[in-house]
Amino acid sequence: MPLDGQDQTLDDAELLARYARGDADAARRLTTRLVPRVHAQAARLLGDGAEAEDVAQEAMMRLWRIAPEWRTGEAKVTTWLYRVVSNLCTDRLRKRPKRTVDLDAVSEPADDAPSPEARMLNDARRDALAQALAGLPERQRLAVVLRHFEGATNPEIAERLGISVEAVESLTARGKRALAAALKGQAEALGYEG
Amino acid sequence: MHADDDKEMWLDKLLDDVGDAPAADTPADLMARVLEDALAAQPAPGAVMATPVSLWRQMLEGLGGWMSVGGLVAATATGFAIGLGALGGEPSDLYWMTGLDMFYDTDIGLTAYGWDLEEG
Repeated sequence: MPLDGQDQTLDDAELLARYARGDADAARRLTTRLVPRVHAQAARLLGDGAEAEDVAQEAMMRLWRIAPEWRTGEAKVTTWLYRVVSNLCTDRLRKRPKRTVDLDAVSEPADDAPSPEARMLNDARRDALAQALAGLPERQRLAVVLRHFEGATNPEIAERLGISVEAVESLTARGKRALAAALKGQAEALGYEG
Repeated sequence: MHADDDKEMWLDKLLDDVGDAPAADTPADLMARVLEDALAAQPAPGAVMATPVSLWRQMLEGLGGWMSVGGLVAATATGFAIGLGALGGEPSDLYWMTGLDMFYDTDIGLTAYGWDLEEG
């Protein structure tokens, strides 16, 4: 079923052009189609619902403003948005103080629902990873996030970033090496055997 | 196994754990706020589409438009002239290169760097 519950024959760029011509229905369809993706990306990177909402709203506002000048065919709307969200999240992460977790206080959850301690550990993992991702060059960060968070294949990433599959492989490998270096010494603190 | 592989194993696990976390539901009020923004920022139906701006035009607009650029050129020329005037009392290579020194020398009859005076 299409994400927005309507026909998907119109791509995002065409809807954006219609929006810029004053078509209110295009605004509704783009909102329904894009906001869940934008919000999910921000929430995954930031781990904070209120901040994720702010980033999603700001990213979409930038899309509405640029709509009249959008150059169809030069970039995919989703890729452009992905970069905007990634950069907005990075800005926030760089200003955010690091959180730490006391593993001694963490016990295994008794049932399916995560215990408060497990949630703390998950938060610490997500924060540590997000902080490390924020230190990567933009294209490396996008390649790693698309690969591991979105489950995109290398050819899909190549298409979205407008680069070759070989370049994607190189970016991902370099990105992961940089992440490993940034997270060096934190494996045990995050509950892994490093 | 290579040490780097060990590092990447726990890193892969970390990426999987964070990536597998369920996506947050999109709050309905966020959707409403975004749509409200969209409609507020939307050009009126039938409005003339803005043509994509060129790099030159973006730079020009960044400087404040043609009027500002005209003022910038005038200010630059004035500053250059003032600078040359300031050099009058203390010659430099730049000053000699302009040829302005020739007027000065002609007025007081000093040519050939004063050698004519030494020769009587």
